[in-house]
Amino acid sequence: MSPGDTVDPMELTPRRQALIVGAVAVIVIGVLTQASLLFTTDATKVAAFTLAFAGLSLLTHHLGLLSLGQGAMVGIGAVAGLHAVRDFGLPPTLIPLAGLAAGFLLGAIIAVPSLRLPKPYLALLTLSVAVAVPIVIRQLDGPLPVTLDAEYLPPSWTGIDERDEHQWEFIIVVAWVLPTLWILHRLLRGPVGRAFIASRDDPAAAAAFGIPVRRLRLFGVALSGGLAGMAGGLTVVPVNITDSPLYPESLSIKMFAVAVAFGGQRVLSAIPSAAFLILLPVWLGDRNWVVPSGWEGLLKSEGFIYAVLLLATAHFTKGKGFTHLLGERRRARRLGLANAPLFTFQRYRLK
Amino acid sequence: MSLFLQRTFDSLANGTIYAGLAVAISLVFRSTGVLNLAQGQMALFSTYVAVLFASEPSPRLAFTSWVDDFGTPWPIWASIVAAMIVSFIAGALIERVVIRPLGDDDPVPAIGATLGLFLLFDSFIREHWLDFTRRFGSPFPNQKGDWWVIGGARLEWDTVGIAATMIVALGLLALLQHRTRLGLAFRAVSSNRQSSTLAGIRVDRVVMIGWALAAALGALGGGLIAGQIPVRPGMMDRVLILGLAAATLGGLRSPAMAFVGGYLFAATETVMSGYIGFIDTRVTLVWALAVLIAVLSIRPQGLLRTHKVAIGDDP
Repeated sequence: MSPGDTVDPMELTPRRQALIVGAVAVIVIGVLTQASLLFTTDATKVAAFTLAFAGLSLLTHHLGLLSLGQGAMVGIGAVAGLHAVRDFGLPPTLIPLAGLAAGFLLGAIIAVPSLRLPKPYLALLTLSVAVAVPIVIRQLDGPLPVTLDAEYLPPSWTGIDERDEHQWEFIIVVAWVLPTLWILHRLLRGPVGRAFIASRDDPAAAAAFGIPVRRLRLFGVALSGGLAGMAGGLTVVPVNITDSPLYPESLSIKMFAVAVAFGGQRVLSAIPSAAFLILLPVWLGDRNWVVPSGWEGLLKSEGFIYAVLLLATAHFTKGKGFTHLLGERRRARRLGLANAPLFTFQRYRLK
Repeated sequence: MSLFLQRTFDSLANGTIYAGLAVAISLVFRSTGVLNLAQGQMALFSTYVAVLFASEPSPRLAFTSWVDDFGTPWPIWASIVAAMIVSFIAGALIERVVIRPLGDDDPVPAIGATLGLFLLFDSFIREHWLDFTRRFGSPFPNQKGDWWVIGGARLEWDTVGIAATMIVALGLLALLQHRTRLGLAFRAVSSNRQSSTLAGIRVDRVVMIGWALAAALGALGGGLIAGQIPVRPGMMDRVLILGLAAATLGGLRSPAMAFVGGYLFAATETVMSGYIGFIDTRVTLVWALAVLIAVLSIRPQGLLRTHKVAIGDDP
């Protein structure tokens, strides 16, 4: 590289790759050696939901679509995975594959109409799926939780005590998630990812260059659903149950809010998004922030925090997200615009 | 036959409310291209405002002391009208402060903002009025004997009153749209915003009035339905879904089709849950959602419109 060249912030240089691998290793080892049972379970959920957010990131940032139904896909994956193990004898460690298949299938079905709909209609379509899925799950499985009827006991060679099976569950989930993220990263950084972006930015031009736009986008939406389904299968691992109230429409709305606010084109942006979704209620609970009612209760409620997040993202970033804005600012500074503002206040822009 | 008639009569009141909300959603979408996902929660908030005006001051009901100076409790009709006025102002403010600054280049910020409003109203209601669940009282006679018997089925005055009120309100709205200068401006903005601006129409103001009218209509619907079902957080979730489904029948742009859709969904809901054993009200919601998904998949432009909806139609 010549001295004048700059490094693309999206580029994963060997140094950055080493840093990421090191950070992930530290987190995994830290969870396994230091974390309590509850925190390990939460970390397992974070790892599982990372896949769902990666799928949502693919949908919003690479395909230019939106989904208010990603939580429903997670629910479908969880139910499919649980029944595949419980009723069809699938080995419990392969549970995410059943979730992947179910999510991919539902994603492909939804993809057909969604590719030709404007965004408000698409929002309505996916929101409908988010509302319908918990009702269908309740109708199929009944009002009570359904248990997995299988355990994830650590093998003796691991040296993990049988009573610490949550550590083994964490390892299983991470063992599924990290390779999947790596494959997805390679996919999105390669020709397929570039074709996604080309078909998002200018479908006509992309088609003129020989990209099968429709088939590619169908695959993208289905893959996004598949990743969410896989995440659903993995969420069963630490809790061993599925229940319709675990996948309400509010889960999909929260996922949309977090993905828009913190998501980015990088697959890795899914990790902080998942951490925010899972750990926010834990943090609120731990700090005894959830007070009964009134103004104080409102300011400290999860719904209010998500509302502020959505409104702030809409106003200050015009729906593009804070991660995108930080990236833009970094690019602007590299171009010599040292005082590039962090936010574009739409209210004061010149028309 | 009388049972079928009874079920049809029973669906009238619900149909009116679904129709009202569907028209409100269509009204906003038509003029602004914004799908207001917070319409149901805004209507619920307005219903609580009506409850405040109609209630004695009580520590159990937050904010009653705020309206105490106005000589509350007021009669139910006056409370509903007060809630409509408050909602009209709130709707205009929301458009001015939350929606307008987002611009109209990309619908994603507006969708995010309406979802944010949904969560904001929902959290506010849950944090302040979670423990409060009660019937508001109907503005029409609904005592024993307040009904007509037609074909062996009872048609309650209450039901007819709700339907008539909403039909009159929607009729006034139609008159406003077709017989006034404001209505002409409204139709011009719905048809083409840029040309309307060039023709000297103050588009921002017209859109703001559209939001305000939709909020007031939601308040009327909420106030009327509160005489039939207990006022509680989450009361409008189901109504919103059915209202959205009804609005979809008209491609989200036809208030008339949305109005008809409201009654169709209510009738089907009542008849299905009445005649098919394993179907409860939750499952009828799935049926409505299935219709919504089917319409969006096959004819997103609505059942009667010929203009196709495509990705380039993003407002």
